[in-house]
Amino acid sequence: MYRIRFHGRGGQGMKTASRILGSAFFLQGYEVQDAPRYGAERRGAPIFAYVRAARQPIQERGIILAPDLVIVADDSLLPMPAAGVLQGVTPRTTLLIHSSEAPETWRQRLNIAGSLLTLSAQAEPHFAGTALTGAAARLVGVIMRSALEQAVRQELAGLGEETLSANLAQALAAYDGMAAHAGQVSEGEASAAVACPRPDWVDLPLDEADAAAAAIHAGATSVEVRTGLWRTLRPVIDYARCKRCWWVCSEFCPDSAIKVSAENYPEIDYEHCKGCLICVAQCPSHAITPIPESSEVKP
Amino acid sequence: MTRALITGNAAAAWGARLAGAEYVPAFPITPQTEIIETLAGWIDAGEMDCRLVTLESEHSMLTAAGAAASTGVRVFSATSSQGLLYGMEMIYAAPGNRAPFVLVNVSRGIQTPVTLEPDHNDVLATRDSGFLQLHCATCQEVLDSTLIAYRLAEDHRVRLPALVNLDGFYLSFTREPVDIPARTEVEKFLPPFNPETTRFHAGEPVSQGVVVLGGAYYSYFRYEQHLAAQRALEVYAEVAAEFEQEFGRRYDAVETYRSEDAEIVFFMIGSFSTKAKDAVDRLREAGQAVGLVRPRLLRPYPAEALRRALAGKQGVVVIDQNLSMGMGGVLHGELAGALYGQPGMPPVLASFIGGLGGRDIAAEEFYEMVEVTRKACQEGVTPPPRLLYTADELRQMRKLQAVAHAERREDAA
Amino acid sequence: MKDEAITVYKHMKDLPSSRLLGTGTPMCAGCGGLLAVHQAYDILGEKTVFVNAAGCMTLLAVYPYTPFRGSWLYTAMASAPAGAQGVRDALDIQLAKGRIQPEEDLQVVVLTGDGAAYGMGLSSTSSAIEHGLDFIYLCYDNEGYANTGQQSSPATPHGAKTATSTGAQGFGGHKKDLFAIWAAHRPAYVATVIATEPVDLARKIEKAKNLKGPRLIIALSPCPTGWDFDPQETVEIGRLAVKTGMWPLKEYENGRVTHTKVPPQRAPVEEYLERQGRFAHLFKPERNEAVLAEIQAGVDEYWAEVEKIND
Repeated sequence: MYRIRFHGRGGQGMKTASRILGSAFFLQGYEVQDAPRYGAERRGAPIFAYVRAARQPIQERGIILAPDLVIVADDSLLPMPAAGVLQGVTPRTTLLIHSSEAPETWRQRLNIAGSLLTLSAQAEPHFAGTALTGAAARLVGVIMRSALEQAVRQELAGLGEETLSANLAQALAAYDGMAAHAGQVSEGEASAAVACPRPDWVDLPLDEADAAAAAIHAGATSVEVRTGLWRTLRPVIDYARCKRCWWVCSEFCPDSAIKVSAENYPEIDYEHCKGCLICVAQCPSHAITPIPESSEVKP
Repeated sequence: MTRALITGNAAAAWGARLAGAEYVPAFPITPQTEIIETLAGWIDAGEMDCRLVTLESEHSMLTAAGAAASTGVRVFSATSSQGLLYGMEMIYAAPGNRAPFVLVNVSRGIQTPVTLEPDHNDVLATRDSGFLQLHCATCQEVLDSTLIAYRLAEDHRVRLPALVNLDGFYLSFTREPVDIPARTEVEKFLPPFNPETTRFHAGEPVSQGVVVLGGAYYSYFRYEQHLAAQRALEVYAEVAAEFEQEFGRRYDAVETYRSEDAEIVFFMIGSFSTKAKDAVDRLREAGQAVGLVRPRLLRPYPAEALRRALAGKQGVVVIDQNLSMGMGGVLHGELAGALYGQPGMPPVLASFIGGLGGRDIAAEEFYEMVEVTRKACQEGVTPPPRLLYTADELRQMRKLQAVAHAERREDAA
Repeated sequence: MKDEAITVYKHMKDLPSSRLLGTGTPMCAGCGGLLAVHQAYDILGEKTVFVNAAGCMTLLAVYPYTPFRGSWLYTAMASAPAGAQGVRDALDIQLAKGRIQPEEDLQVVVLTGDGAAYGMGLSSTSSAIEHGLDFIYLCYDNEGYANTGQQSSPATPHGAKTATSTGAQGFGGHKKDLFAIWAAHRPAYVATVIATEPVDLARKIEKAKNLKGPRLIIALSPCPTGWDFDPQETVEIGRLAVKTGMWPLKEYENGRVTHTKVPPQRAPVEEYLERQGRFAHLFKPERNEAVLAEIQAGVDEYWAEVEKIND
């Protein structure tokens, strides 16, 4: 069975990408199971999706714990333990990363022994999903170009001919570009029952009611959630142009992530700024500019 | 017939569409919403001749569903979790009117605490209502069960509403290959709704839902519902046979998988049972005689079929994806009741609680449950009920609690 | 308004004497609510399905006895309008498909007490009006949860003694203005009626019957059991409710409120209050002048406002 996991952010089309790959397998005659997994989080938050494909009906369910291929649409997720991108990655897993950095750089940075490929970052990031799907289709080696094309057409039918063609071109180009690696990803075997470690079950203790009720006995604990990780564009204040009218950017920041200093300068809390860019749009003196999160320029 | 990759929610919507549902009272709730959105899309596009009305609550939604069924149209509705509980008064009220309709429930854990992911406490809260219950393990089964549910519910010998259950996320948002039959094929299996004498129209007065005072009179009407539900077992067998003839897919009231020569079997409902099948295959490869027994029909309870399937087994691994506080697993208690005092029944029914709020059940946990049960069979002692919960999960839980109690700790310091 | 089908009710002798509602119901002797239902039913006719919510009238149909010559469906306390929605939609679906003929169609009438109408059922009523549901809502308002022994409800008047307001001041709250709440939804029609003014009631039911969309009617229903008076006084007490200005008879249509019966010279509210046991504590052992004045002031204020608008 092929077990493939997609990682990206809400809004990056991971569900669609996984569905295109799922449909391509299906059109190729495979049994398929695909699903997105997301919680209560919104646009920008890390999400994942998965595809299982096999010649036999699929009985496995839920999260893929031993992936054959892990696809990463947003390389800023890789260093985030909470995103779980590297969960279950073994030397036989192939990593496919959408990044402008070289595979070697990532291999060293992540200390990865197995195969690691990159797909050059797209000028238009919303094509990343379809391009990665095209690449993945070639990596598994069992999907014909025509099946990929049909799957893209099927899944993006509602988007209009122009968007569809643009996406299709991206998918096919990535498919063609992976020719050298065709068939590199192989089906993983189910681990035998005898080889499995035994679960480390515990008996739950009976706790006091105040601890055992789902109540939070503290204020503003949400600051421990680093929503800054959702951000793909970072607003940067040019203090030379800032008129110190702190009330505009700070007032309109929905996340209370713009603090005001003693000198009345606004200061963006990048640990929590989600990158909505309302501050950029509202700053009267146009002192706030968005820069890509991957950019080396630090504020 | 077409074969397509669709979600469990889409399969439910296809079930309603192919059944020719004429009326859909609706209310959105995660993870069910996609069902009513799909139906609304088809209706707006003119692909489905049906009226969909969004009520202001599930209580009203189910009231409208029952009232419309009593007026003579084929009704479909869907809900989940808190919505099912909010409508609970009408869940219990509807069956007594003997006006059938089909309700899909997309299982999701119930509060408190609030969650989005599945377990079966929501649907099991409707257990004693008079609704017939069909539990699905795959997206294909969701579509097929919806069609079967209409036949069963509308049968002259039954005439009770039916509930089709699928798990949130694991089925609702998961695409699987599904054979979607043509409407003409379905029409052969499921003729138009015959409301019989319960239908409001001028000329034939009906007073429905009336008061019945006096325990003996009341008992009569209640017990009649019970007898009709029990009759549904026999009707189900007929309907399933006809379904198999028409569509080639077989749905026994109790599914058995490699259980005939098994010493130990898994007993469970819902989508995780396919994981159990996988575990059965792996354990068979390792030389263990293991199988699966899964009731698809939970109401009426197929006690006789279960006794047949379990006769001669050494032990049963009962996995409850639900929890009756202060008692334990609901399926375990019900199964014990069905087997107790009957000859040749397995001596060990080991109880496991797992998968609450969508918590996964790992392959090694299936293996270990068999191991625990096998040991119990050898020693002749039934093990205490076990929650599937690992030391690591408890450690993670403790970390969250540390955050939730931060201020208090600081105060104490 | 030139519809030939509309019957004009001007005098008592114009009223129908068909008496469609069967005898033999378990309602209390002298029930003002049953009086309103039987009058309304004669106007509405047999081609009616009543959709009932929990209240006194739940007991109208006790197996195997029903007073209705047409149909009836009991739902639940909160959701009778949703039941009406289901019935109406299902009738429309079958009419459209030709499965029933137009002459088999039914007028869908929600029948609830004030407990459902003013409280638990407001959410589903609001929803039904918002959907433009073609139905009539008939509320028999006996100003309390009468079926369970007259506890105070959102319709209980200020100062009344109920099973849950037994103190010297009576009920501390104020009767909710359901007419205004309903009218704020801009339905086709809203009216207040009372069975002791049968011509006014007949005219309004007839009007409602010939309109489309949500039509809502509140019938103040003197309740001998809950209000504590002799059953023979039901009609007299109802008349006094109108005469004292305590129960204004009015209707809402096309955004306008019209009073259909303005008492020329309003009698003091005491004349209405002193005949009911539920207000006895305002008179004995000594007069509670403050509460009596408060009730009178409330009525005076209401009618002063009406006159101001009419001027």
